[in-house]
Amino acid sequence: MASLTLDKVRKAFGPVEVLKEINLAIDDGEFLVLVGPSGCGKSTLLNLIAGLESSTDGEIRIGDRVINDVHPKDRNIAMVFQSYALYPNMTVRKNITFGLEIRGVSNQERDKAVADVAKLLQIEPLLDRKPSQLSGGQRQRVAMGRALVRDPDIFLFDEPLSNLDAKLRVDMRTEIKKLHQRLGSTIVYVTHDQIEAMTLASRIAVMKDGILQQFDTPQNIYERPNNMFVAGFIGSPSMNFIDATLTEEGGKLAVTIPRDGNPIVLPLFEAPESYHGYIGKDVVFGIRPEALTHKRTNSDEPGSQYVNFDSKVEVIEPTGADTMTVIDIAGKEIVARVRPDRAPTPGESMTFSADMSQISLFDPDTELRI
Amino acid sequence: MADIQTYSHDAGWKNTVLRGLLYLVLILFAAYYLFPLIVMIATSLKSLDEIREGSLISLPRVVTFDAWNYAWNEACVGVECTGIKIYFWNSVKMAIPAVLISTFLGAINGYALTKWRFKGANIVFALLLFGCFIPFQVVLLPMSQVLGKLGLASSTPGLVLVHVVYGLCFTTLFFRNYYVSIPDELVKAATIDGAGFFTIFWRIILPISTPIIVVSVIWQFTQIWNDFLFGASFASGANAPMTVALNNIVNTTTGVKQYNVDMAAALLTGLPTLLVYVLAGKYFVRGLTAGSVKG
Repeated sequence: MASLTLDKVRKAFGPVEVLKEINLAIDDGEFLVLVGPSGCGKSTLLNLIAGLESSTDGEIRIGDRVINDVHPKDRNIAMVFQSYALYPNMTVRKNITFGLEIRGVSNQERDKAVADVAKLLQIEPLLDRKPSQLSGGQRQRVAMGRALVRDPDIFLFDEPLSNLDAKLRVDMRTEIKKLHQRLGSTIVYVTHDQIEAMTLASRIAVMKDGILQQFDTPQNIYERPNNMFVAGFIGSPSMNFIDATLTEEGGKLAVTIPRDGNPIVLPLFEAPESYHGYIGKDVVFGIRPEALTHKRTNSDEPGSQYVNFDSKVEVIEPTGADTMTVIDIAGKEIVARVRPDRAPTPGESMTFSADMSQISLFDPDTELRI
Repeated sequence: MADIQTYSHDAGWKNTVLRGLLYLVLILFAAYYLFPLIVMIATSLKSLDEIREGSLISLPRVVTFDAWNYAWNEACVGVECTGIKIYFWNSVKMAIPAVLISTFLGAINGYALTKWRFKGANIVFALLLFGCFIPFQVVLLPMSQVLGKLGLASSTPGLVLVHVVYGLCFTTLFFRNYYVSIPDELVKAATIDGAGFFTIFWRIILPISTPIIVVSVIWQFTQIWNDFLFGASFASGANAPMTVALNNIVNTTTGVKQYNVDMAAALLTGLPTLLVYVLAGKYFVRGLTAGSVKG
């Protein structure tokens, strides 16, 4: 168990910079998820922590120990790979104990360690099988067992669930979370799946093009995304972005969305100081589908932050729990999340409520949060 | 339905004819290739008298292994009449170390070139690949100079060295192409587990290389055992390999031409490679295509 610090870490392959000044720090027992689209540098970052690649610049520390020049085997880390990377010629038992054997752990201790891990992961009946005789989920467990048995300071997971089918993936996700809660270990987990990131992480690092976009708790990342990329990447269906203008009327700020002759004016009830510089200017109005719903019954009460407006419905997409309703505002398709019993029929006009306490405004040029 | 049935009936009739033709062609080809072998075997089992009287292609009336015995124990190679057996052992002493060493080095090369990529790995591989295309004759003179300087001229170890150097290009190519399809994560996992270059090689990579080891062994054994040019150039007299001895037996022109002995000696020379194919042939095809199609 240990904390992990990345201090101005850079990585370049020749002239190509794949990681640009990454600063991250997590405490002992935290679950850090590195998330981002393919090629964002998240796996490279994990390899740097593992020591499988060396950083061009910067410092990586586990606890107080600088590990830049420490060999992977001496970093006291364990890693679970996307392809599981089980040794095909060895039985499950051998796979799990290989690392201990190399480190010269005695036979008795090895047997005990393997028994404990097998019990924890419920793979006892599989111990004498070869990896080729296991299903995907079982291989995944063995790969985790191989990491667990070493009792490392930090666990590294490299997209461990992406080779599993959808249902198994959700099950294993829960198991990893349970395991983390039980063991209290420090984990760094790479994924491109934002749902995995949200459900597992105690802190998320969102990356794009080798740049750390935001590093925060899942809830903060969800509610207060730093920029339009993070806002669009996290959450499904993703956040609606609408071109609008920030207007002021009688000392109150409002987001005005131009619409043929009939603009939608959405007054802001709380306006941070930073908004004032944008009065009269174009902004990008970001609102998540769940903040855009059918008309709320309490939306007319004083103190309510709901604002109502009418719009025509284009398409509806029922998901069971909610019905995603696509509406057309100023030529843009906007998704609202409506309760199934309140779902409209396409072509119909309907009143929607926007929850103005859950909105984000972005600068249209820099795409940063205002 | 009726249309389809008529159609399939037509096709069935056509199929039978085409299939018959196909088998006919295949049988003709098989016979074409087998015929010389049958003649060789038949001749080697005849006595010299019978050969002189009968036709070349007739089967032996009396089967006798005298020719085989003579070829093995008594045939004259040049002026020494000791049979081909000492040269057989020469070939064994040359082929086995040469096959093992070149296969092993090829495996290490392939492993290093794919899993421990270093700067210039591609250039090294390209140069090795280039070695596959150098004709034997080109290296004869420089190689003999090197062997002379090393004090290995006209010796079996010298011949082993030549075959290892020459075979390395092929074995490296085989192993590199095989290892390219093995995921790098396997090596990464083992590195984190604490294993080093050679531990990973011995404990993980080599145990999963059986198909390509078989390919390499068959290929190298066939090449080295059947080689004549290097054997004739770099090992003379009592150190000559079997192929060279065979040539000397057949070309020895004192007295009567002993066709049955020639045939027996030739068969004895070809037997080991044939045996290797029979025992491991199925791996050969499997291994050659391994990696090209992902399973």
